[in-house]
Amino acid sequence: MTDNTDLTVNIAGIKMQNPVMVASGTFGFGNEYKNFYDINKLGALVTKGLTLMPKAGNPPPRIHETPAGVLNSVGLENPGVEQFIAKEWPCLSKLKIPVIANISGDTVEDYYKIAKQLSTLENLAALEVNISCPNVEKGGLAFGQEPESASEVIKAVREATRLPIIAKLSPNVSHIQKIAEAVVSAGADAISLINTLLGMAIDIHSMGPVFCRKFAGLSGPAVKPVALRMVWEVYEAVSVPIIGMGGITTWQDAVEFILAGATAVAVGTANFVNPMAPIEIIEGLKTYLYLKETNLHDLIGAAH
Amino acid sequence: MSTPAALFANITQNTQIAPDIYLMEIEAEIAEAAQPGQFLHIRCSDTFAPLLRRPISISDADKKTGKVEIIYRVIGQGTHLLCQKRPGDRLDIIGPLGRGFPMPEEGKTSIIIGGGIGVAPLLYLAKQIAKDHKNGHLPLTFLGFATKQEAFGIDFLSSLGIKATICTDDGTLGYKGFPTTLFKEHLSQYQDKSNLIIYACGPKPLLSSIKDIAAGEHITAYLSLEERMACGVGACLGCSVKSSQAGYKKVCKDGPVFEAGEIELE
Repeated sequence: MTDNTDLTVNIAGIKMQNPVMVASGTFGFGNEYKNFYDINKLGALVTKGLTLMPKAGNPPPRIHETPAGVLNSVGLENPGVEQFIAKEWPCLSKLKIPVIANISGDTVEDYYKIAKQLSTLENLAALEVNISCPNVEKGGLAFGQEPESASEVIKAVREATRLPIIAKLSPNVSHIQKIAEAVVSAGADAISLINTLLGMAIDIHSMGPVFCRKFAGLSGPAVKPVALRMVWEVYEAVSVPIIGMGGITTWQDAVEFILAGATAVAVGTANFVNPMAPIEIIEGLKTYLYLKETNLHDLIGAAH
Repeated sequence: MSTPAALFANITQNTQIAPDIYLMEIEAEIAEAAQPGQFLHIRCSDTFAPLLRRPISISDADKKTGKVEIIYRVIGQGTHLLCQKRPGDRLDIIGPLGRGFPMPEEGKTSIIIGGGIGVAPLLYLAKQIAKDHKNGHLPLTFLGFATKQEAFGIDFLSSLGIKATICTDDGTLGYKGFPTTLFKEHLSQYQDKSNLIIYACGPKPLLSSIKDIAAGEHITAYLSLEERMACGVGACLGCSVKSSQAGYKKVCKDGPVFEAGEIELE
């Protein structure tokens, strides 16, 4: 009976059969989880973050477990946009679900160029613009921290593409609403948040930072309350659709984010713990809507 | 490579075999696919404490009985919870994962070198090589432990007809010293070393030493590495090891077994 439940959502023209996506950097290019379930059951897939040139990433260690969380310092390791198009896209483009490319850059020009290159791909559903990755010295952090620089990046991407633009916001800011307003006026069609929270760990034996780059990005259930609060705030500031993420592990978490104002949600770190998490969340959502005798659209932002 | 599965397996045994070292046996369909050197990614807790799975190498698998064994050392929160599980409990696993040890080509002489808990995956490897037996002889095995109490796997190897050379850091069992030292001495017996193939797993210094010897003597060596992991399937890019070419390899997917020349150990 719950199989008839309508879970479809439309985010800036991205038509999804359900609102459950997988977050960038937690799902590679879609190959790793194919063994566990049919990934065509997802709402959408967001690729590992792409840069113009290949990136080797940071030296180990790259991950460190924390209470209910994980710190990561991967450093945007990726094959670069050209290799992505040559090697990964042929397989990805055959998926029946929307595929969203996540992009990063060191300069505004980088963002423009990579957006331009990806725009040539038929079937690519959207670009998610990472203005917030805290891992690379010259990377996104600076752009995402100030409304002006955030806006500059989105404007450049807007110029380069007709694809829907999702601006992925950093939580490491003092006024998330101002950043959200800035990226929307610059042309973002949707907002996703949050990226990882900047944190660190210290090795008490070596008496130095665990990570080469000292700071790393915190994700997992530990960040959920922060993410939820920021989705709530952004929902009150802008009218574009929001993709909520940050520590979503269960369908109950997903419902909270939707009630806070998210039109869709993304599962990130939970994929590592429970590969079936996105599927279980989709099923849980259906049952919840059925039992509550409501529909997804009435749920969005209903807690306000 | 075999296709990994995410499943709940029935625990049939979980016993202490040495101080802080446990042997767990589970019933799982993956027994059929499990190759020596591969690992299981185990969720030790139902809660978020700890959040991540723990990668544990497979120490034996039997297609006929459908049983898989792991041997693990209790180190932190995850393995502490693991050792408290009882027969009849269910174990949340993903596996078998990773690239295991390639079997020796016909006519090769296999040499197995292990240290501490690193001995675990080598037991299954030794069994498979012994079973094959087309090589004409059993693998030569050098194992090192901190002390007699912590030694394990020796009876298992004996049952296969393998008489392992044992050493301990304190000399309480076998020779006093490291297995790498004994192996080096043993190596001098060979005029032609091109026929040898080395398999090693253990602490970093052991692996580095084997890597150096293998490079110096032009012997093919396979090393099984350990690294902290998140996903275990190659998605998170967390468990990186420096490639000898450029960039990084992933211990979970490109390894955990690497040809010694493929990677840099710092």
